[in-house]
Amino acid sequence: MAETAILYDASKCTACKGCQIACKQWNQLPAPLTADEYEFTKSYQAPLDVDPDTWLIMTFAEVPMDIGVEWNFMRHACFHCTDAACAMACPVGAISHKDNGAVVIDQDKCIGCQYCVSNCPFSIPRAKIMGGTDYAKTFKCWQCFDRTSNDKAPACVTTCPTNALEYGDRAEIVAKAKARVDVLKDQGFAKAEVYGVDELGGMHTIIVAHRGLEAHGLIRDPKVSAATSLLDLAKPLSVVGVGVVGAALGLSFAMGLGYKRGEHTYDEKTDTVTIGEVE
Amino acid sequence: MRYIQRQSSFARGLHWIHTIACMSLFVTGIMLFVPAVASSVGVGAMQGARTIHRVMAVIFIAAPLLGVAVNPKGFIHFMKCMFYKWDANDWKFMGKFFPYLFLGPAKQHMPEQKELKSGQAFSDWIILALALLISVSGVFLWLSAAGVEISGVLALWMLVAHDVAFVLLGLLMIIHIYLGAGVFQPYRGSVRLMFGDGRVPESDALYHWGTWAREEFQKGDHISAD
Repeated sequence: MAETAILYDASKCTACKGCQIACKQWNQLPAPLTADEYEFTKSYQAPLDVDPDTWLIMTFAEVPMDIGVEWNFMRHACFHCTDAACAMACPVGAISHKDNGAVVIDQDKCIGCQYCVSNCPFSIPRAKIMGGTDYAKTFKCWQCFDRTSNDKAPACVTTCPTNALEYGDRAEIVAKAKARVDVLKDQGFAKAEVYGVDELGGMHTIIVAHRGLEAHGLIRDPKVSAATSLLDLAKPLSVVGVGVVGAALGLSFAMGLGYKRGEHTYDEKTDTVTIGEVE
Repeated sequence: MRYIQRQSSFARGLHWIHTIACMSLFVTGIMLFVPAVASSVGVGAMQGARTIHRVMAVIFIAAPLLGVAVNPKGFIHFMKCMFYKWDANDWKFMGKFFPYLFLGPAKQHMPEQKELKSGQAFSDWIILALALLISVSGVFLWLSAAGVEISGVLALWMLVAHDVAFVLLGLLMIIHIYLGAGVFQPYRGSVRLMFGDGRVPESDALYHWGTWAREEFQKGDHISAD
């Protein structure tokens, strides 16, 4: 399977949230059915953040203008990084890359430790206690791998009415995004940028941010935490440590073979220790 | 043969409880630390391991605290030993211990030691510090997984601290068992101190803790014979 990617072009997006709904529908993610489930925030962004049952949200960054506000939309969901910090932190190997680059959580392996939640620079994975158990499992966008492995685009892409979302070969998507940025710059969007080409080893969601990364709430040059690198180091170092200690104690045991000492006795009256002959 | 009662039944009982807790934590920790183990045992076993890990973690932290509460005099005595000011013999012991351990015990004449050898005190301080680190970081990780608001960065560094303490404590435990269980020839029989009747034979006491053994024989309070 070739490496693929989703393209999100913020300049074409109307934030209709069709993708948000399509994601919920295809992945059968429950939604609140009662009024006032979410706190009223005076924003069209709802819910305010991703959660275990909402893997994709449209964010509405509002920049006050002379008249009204300027909206900078963003599709907030897993970026499917090549250097996926979530996968690096998973202690049970439940998070892996598929051949097309999608980063997928295997729910049959997830033990709900939530190390991926702490590790993701974008705070994407979210955990919930599973019904009928005391155990949590972690959830996030899996780029509809059930669809993409059957030559279908992810659900969010298929529903986009303005073609702000596209799906295809990653190299072609990157080329398309770069060409689009050139067009946008010609149209006056001087800060237009592509996001995801090189970040974290290359993402499998490529973003066209026509008003610049920060305006759309994107993290410039995201990094895998140094702590994650240390976690990666801990395992091989522990193997080396066990090897060194094992070898050293083996040497100690061998050097001590046949060791005998004379019987020690103590005379309290004279405060004398006598050491007998070695037998 | 004469013996000195070195470890009380209370200390041995506490050591038994802590041994079981440590071993359980170590095994379940390995299951979480090595992905290949997790993959081979399946998610049900891993969930069970996490539950056992938490129950044993409570025992790991609570047992010594209860020990201090129930027997404060014993704790104060232990801390006094830990804070002994090292004399020339203690420094000499530390200098000779590595050649003694690795190049053959017969070639080294070890200086007399007090109730707690300088080497024991040194390793006990490291173990105490690591136990504190693994306990605090473990509590943070537990709270984080339970949904308490803890920043991701803090949780991540707590995980690093937990892993580092786990690896170092694991290595120290291997050495502790090698010496304490008497696998090392000069330490043969020392396993009875914590897993037997807590008595040390006269000859072993004089060899390992000469200064302390002479004091005990002079006082005569903890001496028995058979």
